[in-house]
Amino acid sequence: MMRLALPKGRNLGVTLSALRAAGIGLAGLEENGRRLRGSFEVDALEVLLLKDWDVPLYVEYGVADFGVVGSDVLAERDGDVLVPARLSEGGCRLSLIGPEGSLPAAGSQVRLATKYPGLARRLVASRSWGAEIVKLSGSVELGPLLQLSDVALDIVQTGTTLRENQLVELEVVEDVYPCLIVNRASYQRYRSRINELVRRLEEQELVLL
Amino acid sequence: MRITSAFPTGVTALLFEAAERRRTYEDSAVTELRSRGFAEAILPILDYFDPYEGLVSDRAREELYRFVDRDGELLALRGDFTPMLARVLAPRVGSLELPLRLFYRGDRVRHQEERPGRLREYYEMGAELLGVPGRDADEEMLELFLRILSIQSGPSLRVVLSFAGALDRLLLQQPADSRAGLLQALSRRDRRVVRQAGATLLQVVEEGRPVSPGDLGDEGALGLASLEELIAKVQAGCDDLEVTFNIDLAEFAQDTLDPELAAASGTPPYYDGPVFKAYVEGQALSAGRGGRYDRLFRRLGADLAAVGFSVSPDRILGGSTS
Repeated sequence: MMRLALPKGRNLGVTLSALRAAGIGLAGLEENGRRLRGSFEVDALEVLLLKDWDVPLYVEYGVADFGVVGSDVLAERDGDVLVPARLSEGGCRLSLIGPEGSLPAAGSQVRLATKYPGLARRLVASRSWGAEIVKLSGSVELGPLLQLSDVALDIVQTGTTLRENQLVELEVVEDVYPCLIVNRASYQRYRSRINELVRRLEEQELVLL
Repeated sequence: MRITSAFPTGVTALLFEAAERRRTYEDSAVTELRSRGFAEAILPILDYFDPYEGLVSDRAREELYRFVDRDGELLALRGDFTPMLARVLAPRVGSLELPLRLFYRGDRVRHQEERPGRLREYYEMGAELLGVPGRDADEEMLELFLRILSIQSGPSLRVVLSFAGALDRLLLQQPADSRAGLLQALSRRDRRVVRQAGATLLQVVEEGRPVSPGDLGDEGALGLASLEELIAKVQAGCDDLEVTFNIDLAEFAQDTLDPELAAASGTPPYYDGPVFKAYVEGQALSAGRGGRYDRLFRRLGADLAAVGFSVSPDRILGGSTS
């Protein structure tokens, strides 16, 4: 039985919808349920519900054969996993955020708060300004709001949180999508099944082509 | 100084049963290798840093533990066996009695990122057959690889194969500035990126090879046919083992390129024949890999056919270090 790692966060709803549209029913698995693990005989799958940040680890380590995780987390973790498809639903943006007009000027040195220190370092390396990177675990918007930092690098979905806190999206750094990821060894073992799943997702126009 | 039982990241000690299991496996593997005429090569743990430029990938060089010793020499801890062995043998090729069958065992040390199952001090065994060109040597070593992996427990094996230059023609048809990204996409089976490069490469990602072998070019088609023959012969010789063979040209996209393409990925061309890796049932990381690497000796100025492999006893045994 293959083992699937699903994220408990913002990507769970779109992932379940996509899997169900592709014929993987996971009957009884609820978006807001408390079960962390369950077997689905009809789908020949065991499902693990994990924190987003742990999904790549479980898949890379082979505890789960495949999983779904945001491209933001994947890029930050930089794990050695296969990424055969990105879901077309559930997209958002990784953006530089801060008060209006706070985009760092060339040559300036700022403080940048983020949950993504690796991505932030890469971003800063490509810019004409420098930054001290402050790693936060959550509520990153508070960084620039309370002057812990000048700007922040974080996920923006609708922008509502930003508006409510008088912050703006200074720059979209990259688009973020839920990604299907697969363990390398599992791919060799279950290649036809994984390919069939991706083909069904493609047929349903649920992945980016 | 506070005394603890801790070791640096990526370093582990094997005690009691774990140590016994490794040594028992190692003894069996050595017995098998010796029975087939392989002699042991014992290589130093300390070496110069400079000779490996152009022999190993940029990343592998970056991962070497290096330091300046008291004589002012830039030294490195052994990060790999095969290039070291090749460097030792290349100047002596004229005086070697060929064919030469050698095996080695020991630790290699690399400052690898902290990732699941990837140790910085990593124990491996390997074997090299030198001076025998052609398919017979490839068969001999692939079959030996499977036997060594199957010692003791006889686990179910999945062997993934490709061959050097398999994707060269298809990649050379792509714009030069897109090749590095495409190589990474192939390695990650990223269909969205690969799809933009054409239907044939997408077939390689989906099925491990193109529907029409001719799409690989004449040399590629011959290479694929040769690989299929190799599998058939080895399979026939190993029908007592539980082995499944997968041809997957995308799995080795970055390891099997011609020099021009390799420059884009920072990977020196190392292999120039069949390449293979094996997964043991229940293990997420490959338990061993190998292939033909005549090109490595040519790079060292020696004309010597070479094929070999290395295995990780700890991953084969599924111990704590896997």
